[in-house]
Amino acid sequence: MNQSEFLLQLDSVIEASPGTLKGDENLADVSAWDSLAVLSFIAMVDDKFKVQLSGKDIAACQSVTDLALLLGDRVTP
Amino acid sequence: MSHPFSLEGARILVTGASSGLGRATALLAGRMGAQVILTGRDVARLEETRAQLSGEGHRVEPRDLRDTAGIPEWLTGLATESGPLTGLAHAAGIQIVRPLRMLDDEVLNETMTVNLNTALALTKGFRQKTVCASGGSVVLFSSVMGLTGQPGQAAYSASKGALISMCRSLALELARDKIRINCVAPGLVETGMAGRLKETLPPAQYEAVTAMHPLGLGSPENIAAPVVFLLSAAAAWITGTTVVIDGGYTAH
Repeated sequence: MNQSEFLLQLDSVIEASPGTLKGDENLADVSAWDSLAVLSFIAMVDDKFKVQLSGKDIAACQSVTDLALLLGDRVTP
Repeated sequence: MSHPFSLEGARILVTGASSGLGRATALLAGRMGAQVILTGRDVARLEETRAQLSGEGHRVEPRDLRDTAGIPEWLTGLATESGPLTGLAHAAGIQIVRPLRMLDDEVLNETMTVNLNTALALTKGFRQKTVCASGGSVVLFSSVMGLTGQPGQAAYSASKGALISMCRSLALELARDKIRINCVAPGLVETGMAGRLKETLPPAQYEAVTAMHPLGLGSPENIAAPVVFLLSAAAAWITGTTVVIDGGYTAH
């Protein structure tokens, strides 16, 4: 999955219109990034990447970029 | 007269016996004198449970219970080989945490199949005269999530709540066969499944769930003891009910 597809998935996770997230946002500034969004993100990553992330991994992320970095080279530029 | 809490002479099928609550139930049932038939999918871990069991005559019978249609015939085969069953403890289950926006039929159906449909098929199989010759006791593992809610638990709650309501109707139907059926509703117990929940939930949410248990999180043995009680003659007049074992979680 490339970066823009990843952002579209993330838009869906936070129930925002496609194209809302640009990739450089701080998660603290994204009001829809709440505990349900975190659980939804874990479920999306499990479905699309077959990767099991932990709540702890995600709690350590500051930005949208950090979320993509959790998936390493599974998210291409 | 034998001790009312003893399981001497009992033959009990325990599902999910490879770990957690199922394993603890199997081990305690063995200690109380029962012959235990252990089922689950992981043969190696079922054998680990058997190695820890006291007493003789225990069996490992691996099976993926999701093939529900074949369960009654499978139970007939087990009873023919080992002798009639007197108890069933259905601990096998899954918990998939999904907020509504990520919950689809696939996740819901998988959860209902593993947690609910198996319970119905096992009970249906157990009540056959070829399996349960002269009455017995069935214990279904529900959860406090069948009585209360948490975000992300809709599918799990639905399946565990369904067990509680199904159990009431089955109790009325099975009384004529001298079969008692009850649920236990555990709170959060330190098992592999809880470990996965701990991994999944944001730390603050997991801590909040932990703090909701005034007596702290449970141990598998905390659940096994009331299950073994329900399987024993000491519970002879208990059917169609749910025993909440939750360290005070639902007292809030």
